[in-house]
Amino acid sequence: MAVADSFTGTRVVVRADSLVKTFQDPKRGKLNAVDNVSFEIRAGEIFGLLGPNGAGKTTTLRMLATLLKPSAGTATLGGFDIVREPGRVREQIGFLSGETGLYARLTPREILKFFGEMNGMSGAALTERVAEVIHRFGITSFADTRTDKLSTGMKQKTAIARTVLHDPPVLILDEPTSGLDVPTARTIEECILDARKRGKCILYSTHVMEEAEYLCDRIAVIHNGAIQMTGTMEQLREATGKQRLREIFLTLLGMEC
Amino acid sequence: MRLRIIRAIYRKEMLDLIRDRRTLISMVVVPVMLVPLLMVVGGRAVEMIRQKSRDEAKSMSVALKSTSPEVTAALKKAGLNLVPGDDLRAAVESKKSLAGVEEAGREIRVYTDSSNPSSASIGDRIRVALNELKEEKVRESLRAKGVPESVLTPFLVKRVNIASERKMAGAVWGSMLGYLLLLLMFSGGMYPVIDMTAGEKERKTLETFLSSPAGRDEIVLGKILAAMTAIALTAALTLASVVVSLKSNQLGAKPGEMQAMFQTVPLDARTLSLIALTLVPLIVFAASVMVAIAMFARSFKEGQSYLTPLIMFVLFPALLGGLPGLELTPALCLIPIFNASQIIRATLLGDFPVQAFAITFAANVAYAAVAFMVAKRRFEDESVLFRS
Repeated sequence: MAVADSFTGTRVVVRADSLVKTFQDPKRGKLNAVDNVSFEIRAGEIFGLLGPNGAGKTTTLRMLATLLKPSAGTATLGGFDIVREPGRVREQIGFLSGETGLYARLTPREILKFFGEMNGMSGAALTERVAEVIHRFGITSFADTRTDKLSTGMKQKTAIARTVLHDPPVLILDEPTSGLDVPTARTIEECILDARKRGKCILYSTHVMEEAEYLCDRIAVIHNGAIQMTGTMEQLREATGKQRLREIFLTLLGMEC
Repeated sequence: MRLRIIRAIYRKEMLDLIRDRRTLISMVVVPVMLVPLLMVVGGRAVEMIRQKSRDEAKSMSVALKSTSPEVTAALKKAGLNLVPGDDLRAAVESKKSLAGVEEAGREIRVYTDSSNPSSASIGDRIRVALNELKEEKVRESLRAKGVPESVLTPFLVKRVNIASERKMAGAVWGSMLGYLLLLLMFSGGMYPVIDMTAGEKERKTLETFLSSPAGRDEIVLGKILAAMTAIALTAALTLASVVVSLKSNQLGAKPGEMQAMFQTVPLDARTLSLIALTLVPLIVFAASVMVAIAMFARSFKEGQSYLTPLIMFVLFPALLGGLPGLELTPALCLIPIFNASQIIRATLLGDFPVQAFAITFAANVAYAAVAFMVAKRRFEDESVLFRS
């Protein structure tokens, strides 16, 4: 099943072209974790990658973030190829996973400064930008406290600040609200919506239906490594005859309700 | 590779390390405390054993059976506490007496328990006393027959030790210092290395780090430089601790022979510089090997179980390298750890072997380069980075 993209009018920033990732499993042999996945995401668009656990979402995102090399196919981010120019691709992205990925013995300010340096920022410009995001995300009161002393919400705010610090054109968010309480999850959602307003291209992986329905401009449902359908909520409803995303999702997974 | 990125990674790793209590203990506390502790505790233990032997020799008895008056008198003259005995073997075994002396015709049997240092020591005193008595009787006999006493000593044997005190001290410390340094270097680097590799995986920070624009080669170099700093710091602190311990009069049980010998250990600036130069490629080697191995682990605990056997592999050549009598041939110079241990020993002896040093240095530089390449490959291998 395929539905034509209807989100047009802006330039394509991310283009995945027949991505395949094969792993060698000791018990099951050769396994296609991602099987011929293709999609495009445009500037100012939130693109949801929806699938059950083990569907291939994280592997797809890791390939786009150049953490894994595709077994076949390729992708471009901001015009740079993930296989041939991984360094340039990483300059285009802000990556956030459910795990905050923060250094426990460093403070939020030290972490932000470090990742700023990794992204080529330095000197007064870096100090200024760090102060700006600290203020913007409400980190000021704990900016100089070791991260291992912070609450989950404080850590997540720091992680978001780290992701957007260098103002990347592409945000890759892998289940960023996983295990978070509602207010903290809301902070992340607001940040994502704000990024869309500023023309960022956002790839959002989740298995929370309500979140996907609320945030995403277009959704791709992935199952067993392959994309089952891509489209806006309207297009998915039309193609499946179901109204709610939960029902659409189960239908596409072959679990008719 | 971009220097500013490597510098930022190095700075982050060092900041992370110095805030970790485990790392500080293995990197700073152990090397600073171990040598003085060994010397104080070791010195006190030796002194206590000696004092115990002296006290026992004074208070405990020597059992006598069928000894002639002149033998009894000779032993009394030696200051031994004598008591009559019957079953001498049983008396010594049950520790009622430290030794037993029995006269049976022309034979005088001395019973001692060689496993007991006090009994063995009193046995020596008995033998000395009885030898003096024997010599006196021989001299009396010769005098009675009009033969001069000089026939007993047609010539004298005198051993002349040409080794200087400095060299003697170098020989003793040369066997220990290389072993101690190499062992502490590897164990001092172990926790920092695990923390910055397997620890990053376990704390789930690696994925975020790898998604930054920093190149894999820049990341691995920054981490290896931080590991090298930890290892070099451990080595420097161990050396400093040895120098201070040996030169200080405050350490050791009592100022005596041992203290005097410690004072002569050749730890001048030239010797220390040569030791440091020997260690430089080994520090790169140790850091790279440990990073390459620990990177394979998924958790801190797993990293420990991978690196602990490596420490055991280091122990053996380090210990063997300190042994006297082994000559550093060009082939032996190619054995890592062993070669450095031997060079350190030779340097402390004052015989700095230029050719052996050159081969050792070149070999260790080559091993360090190979280990560095292996570590870099590990950081490029996604099956290692995302091993589950």
